[in-house]
Amino acid sequence: MTEIAVIGAGPAGVSAAVAAAGAGAKVTLIEEVARPGGQYYKQPAASLHPHPRSVPHSLADNLQHGRELIAGLKHPNIDLRCNTLVWNITPDRALDLYGPKGAERLQAKKVIVAAGAYERIVPFSGWTLPGVTTVGAAQLMLKGQGVLIGQKILIAGTGPLLQLAAVQLLEAGAEVAAIVELQSQVGFFANASKLFGQWGKIGQGMANQKRLMEGGVPIKYGYAAARALGSNQVEGAVIAKVDSAGRPVSGSEETIVVDTICINFGFTPATELTRLAGCEQRFDPNFASFATVTNPDFETSVRGIFAVGEVRGIGGVEAALLEGQIAGAVAARQLGYQADGQDVRKEWQKARASVESLGAMFAVKPGLFESIPDEVLVCRCEEVTAGALRSAARSGATTLNSLKAWNRCGMGRCQGRTCGPAAAQIIAAEIGSNPESAGTFTARIPIKPVPMSVVGAVEEARPTGTAMEDHVGYGKAVVR
Amino acid sequence: MIAQRVKGFERETPITITVNGQPVPAFAGESIAAVLMAAGFRALRCAEASGSPRGFYCGMGMCFDCLVTIDGVPNQRSCMAEARNGCVVEVRTE
Repeated sequence: MTEIAVIGAGPAGVSAAVAAAGAGAKVTLIEEVARPGGQYYKQPAASLHPHPRSVPHSLADNLQHGRELIAGLKHPNIDLRCNTLVWNITPDRALDLYGPKGAERLQAKKVIVAAGAYERIVPFSGWTLPGVTTVGAAQLMLKGQGVLIGQKILIAGTGPLLQLAAVQLLEAGAEVAAIVELQSQVGFFANASKLFGQWGKIGQGMANQKRLMEGGVPIKYGYAAARALGSNQVEGAVIAKVDSAGRPVSGSEETIVVDTICINFGFTPATELTRLAGCEQRFDPNFASFATVTNPDFETSVRGIFAVGEVRGIGGVEAALLEGQIAGAVAARQLGYQADGQDVRKEWQKARASVESLGAMFAVKPGLFESIPDEVLVCRCEEVTAGALRSAARSGATTLNSLKAWNRCGMGRCQGRTCGPAAAQIIAAEIGSNPESAGTFTARIPIKPVPMSVVGAVEEARPTGTAMEDHVGYGKAVVR
Repeated sequence: MIAQRVKGFERETPITITVNGQPVPAFAGESIAAVLMAAGFRALRCAEASGSPRGFYCGMGMCFDCLVTIDGVPNQRSCMAEARNGCVVEVRTE
């Protein structure tokens, strides 16, 4: 039993835990990886010391801010549980954990879900080859491990993250062969200036551009990665110009010799846990993905379960920190503690507003999904091609859930986290509907693979039924 | 090698792990994925149906593509597992 369980020790989760503990509540902060910080404030192990003066400037600041945030977790009211996966959550706030001590069920009076986001991708030919990674993966390898993922790197996708990551990789010693940005140059700058809306961030964006220019990194605006070349690993890339609808222009292909391709088209909220708990989700057209609905106190439609940060919709680190702070205090207050911190709602509104339309501005045009060749894999786990998705959609699989019956899309180890948003776009484009009507894959336990013995351990301890029966919509006949 | 350890990190404790029967140098605190990458491994497994090579992809434990066998336990995410002195890793790419 704990008073407040916070799931995820990224910026939102750490800030929620610190606020709730400061008000006097007992907090259990559960983190899947070895150290707090999340992906944004990824921290290396204690035995790998980055030197502030010799690591790239852009990383040193990030590491320092992360360390300062995490220092707040040294509070007697906070029980930090790392290397621990929350693989089940029930609407009455029972959490099933799998960690160093094996399986455990934790009952919480309040739950704050701060699960973060996943990178959004657009599948292209050859994207399963070793050497193709997400942009975030390259950043994590650098920040958390001190390892440069490649020597000659192509960065492809859309949004300001591409340029920031390019600077980091460049400063760490890689050659960035090119940045392939889906937006046109005019579109990118118009969007970026609206997005940033703050002089500091415009300054940062300009500094990145200057650094890339000095480093000789070409930025190809209005281009997309069309193919990864190589048989056992990446040996090159073909890029192509795209038209205003996002379709590749034939005859515009160029081949670049690279050993690594990093892709990112923005982010999509990690909503498995809130979906599993039955919390209301709403389609956010700006990001073309579902996000968890909350009231102004960040409580979801399921009482006692809160959602903060990217789970509510992509909003960036400042918003995540403030949402954690507010929700942590509200949850503590609901338990009878006095939380008299300063009111940060105005700052929060400002932070959210500055990135609110980020998704719309860097939206991936439907033409790019329409023109994914039929033979390209979309679901990496079950190896389902775009053609198979389209043919299923034409014969009636108009939602993500129905796709499963046709071709097992989304039923592999990643449970649709990687392919879901792209598959929704592809079937929507095929039948002329929209990704909202494609819905989401139903969240299933365990939300990530765990040994059978872990599920079994929990099952034995239950008075009645199976853990699956806690969830609306899961047919008992299927379970028994 | 395509992947490289960068300067600017002080790596306190050199360790050795075994990969496919061969000793591979590593440092305490590194992930198995980082060690494998710095040692030149890119393909880490084969996709079940097609047999096509797969490697490190998401880096954050969500895609399950960088699976390897660690100390006899199959299907471990190399990006999430920390390298420990003497641990035995098997990478199957055929």
